[in-house]
Amino acid sequence: MSRRSVQYTSSPLLASRTPVWRSKFVVGAIALSFVGLAARAAYIQVIANDFYQRQGEVRFARTLELPANRGRILDRNGMILASSVPAPSIWAIPDDVETDTDAGRAKLQQLARLLEMPYADLVKKLDEDKTFVWVRRQVDADVAKQVTALDIKGIYQRKEYKRQYPEGESAAHVIGFTNVEDNGQEGIELLFNKQLVGRAGLRHVIKDRLGRAVEDVGEVLPPVDGRDVQLSIDSKVQFFAYQKLRDAVIANRAQAGSVVVLDAISGEVLALANYPSYVPDKRQNLTGAQLRNRALTDTFEPGSVMKPFTIGLALETGRVKPTTVIDTAPGYWTLNGATIHDSHAHGALTVEQVIQVSSNVGTSKIAMQMPASEMWETFSQAGFGQKPQIEFPGAVSGRLRPYARWRPIEQATASYGYGLSASLFQMVRSYTVFSHDGQIIPATLMKSPQPAVGVRVFSSQTAAEIRKMLQMAAGPGGTGPKAQTQGYSVGGKSGTAYKLVGKGYGSDTNRKYRSWFVGMAPIERPRVIVGVMVDEPSAGKYFGGEVAAPVFSDTVQQTLRMLNVEPDMAVQPKIMAAAEEESF
Amino acid sequence: MTRVNLVLLLAVVLSAIYLVRVQYDSRRLFTELDRAQVEQRRLQSDNERLQVEKRAQATPARVEQIAREKLQMRQAAPAITTYVNYTEPGRVGGER
Repeated sequence: MSRRSVQYTSSPLLASRTPVWRSKFVVGAIALSFVGLAARAAYIQVIANDFYQRQGEVRFARTLELPANRGRILDRNGMILASSVPAPSIWAIPDDVETDTDAGRAKLQQLARLLEMPYADLVKKLDEDKTFVWVRRQVDADVAKQVTALDIKGIYQRKEYKRQYPEGESAAHVIGFTNVEDNGQEGIELLFNKQLVGRAGLRHVIKDRLGRAVEDVGEVLPPVDGRDVQLSIDSKVQFFAYQKLRDAVIANRAQAGSVVVLDAISGEVLALANYPSYVPDKRQNLTGAQLRNRALTDTFEPGSVMKPFTIGLALETGRVKPTTVIDTAPGYWTLNGATIHDSHAHGALTVEQVIQVSSNVGTSKIAMQMPASEMWETFSQAGFGQKPQIEFPGAVSGRLRPYARWRPIEQATASYGYGLSASLFQMVRSYTVFSHDGQIIPATLMKSPQPAVGVRVFSSQTAAEIRKMLQMAAGPGGTGPKAQTQGYSVGGKSGTAYKLVGKGYGSDTNRKYRSWFVGMAPIERPRVIVGVMVDEPSAGKYFGGEVAAPVFSDTVQQTLRMLNVEPDMAVQPKIMAAAEEESF
Repeated sequence: MTRVNLVLLLAVVLSAIYLVRVQYDSRRLFTELDRAQVEQRRLQSDNERLQVEKRAQATPARVEQIAREKLQMRQAAPAITTYVNYTEPGRVGGER
């Protein structure tokens, strides 16, 4: 076998000279590729920089919204009337939820139990062909924790807030409520929505693979929480007023009722309640009757409550004195063919007694001595027929027709409160004329403890004289003796009216009534004005002095006690001052 | 010349490593801070929730019910109340 020798030092391949262009070509190609790279780099770094930066950010930068808390609603003592609490909502990606395995089903059953929904409903929700379904919105924080503990794949939580109203139904009409998006829908929640909602903040962060924020990018826009709103409402007065009203409405088998408590010095609303009411947290199956804030939205003819204004005007202009005698016999008076009746014939009465026994004839006779324009002016100054001076959703102005269109009989009926209409709230506020030494003061739902500055309607002497008449009306021999309280002198006027039934006021068998009482206490220096209205009492009693006055009495008693007002009337003390040595 | 270059190279490498370290630390601390802030918010809202719950347990309705039924209390009527006048200590010559 011949061995072929290989000579490594010389290769036949190298023997031939390589053409120069080849090496130049390689150099050129490499150079070109570098140029290409440089161009690409320049493109990425300089020209299309923005695009790549953005693409990068999309992959690691996140914009987080920092939710702002909705402000709280507080009562005058800082008690919480409404506050937002976290209430996570449970949502799911249906495809990710395991429904095939036994273990998965068991967990879902547990979930259904936690969320208090039938298992079938839950499964139905998860069966939908969507990438996102709400399973249940706004569950309690405790429930949410347990759901987290279950750790079901495909079930997630979203942080949301829910409004809580610890006061429940007693203050529901004043406070109102918010919808699921936390926007005010009714009452103060609606009126002050702008103040209550905050502004959500923003924050850009860089997140790492595990989803942790590792760096802030740019400026953080901090969230601005909503401001708290402090009302003039006193939650205790509110509750007691509501409770007494509710008891009276139920006891009298009435349709509805309202109560308003006004601070006679500052004009603050201490309580405003209506029955029937609702629990603001649970608003399923609400009816319109429950939602109505009757004290502000329902108007009716104020009736006898107007008489003090007519008499006040007559006193003020010197046309009568409290002791002037008016002949009201024989209990009716015919004016231009129309007849005005008293409930009982009284004969000759002094002006004071006209108010005390609430004589329509007496009031009309006094009113007819005065021009209609003056009466209209006084009524308007007292707020009747005027734009509701309190800002509240749904507050109404009532009706007072222009005096130029009053016929004489209408002037007479207006003098005792018919032919015009007002809400209970307006009536209560109008009585600040008498409580505030002749000045009408603005009423407010905001805490403002300074004494209010009013507009003069009557002189302070007239106001004092009317107060005395109101006291007589609420005393023995008056129309509302049931308004009396222990220890506090009260004064007030009751009213009773037939409600329209079909086209008239109904017959004796099917009459419907509305009863109310507006008054103040203590009568010498009033601290509170309380108005009570009961709609359609149908348990036999229907006079304002019978139905509404007891609620007035209870409310005044409680309110003055809570305001630490000393009784101004002698009460028989039942305690003995114990002579005990004190050791300090 | 070479020595200076080596020293400078070393310095650059050390500083680069240090930078990495600092960056890492800062991110770690930032995460911690972030977590603490989340915790703070959670505690705040928990606090708020508990306040509301506390308030819900002490509504006038409940207080009255317990006072009447469990503690057999009744309302103080004016007849069994002694009223005292109190002047705030700071106010000299106040109402008497």
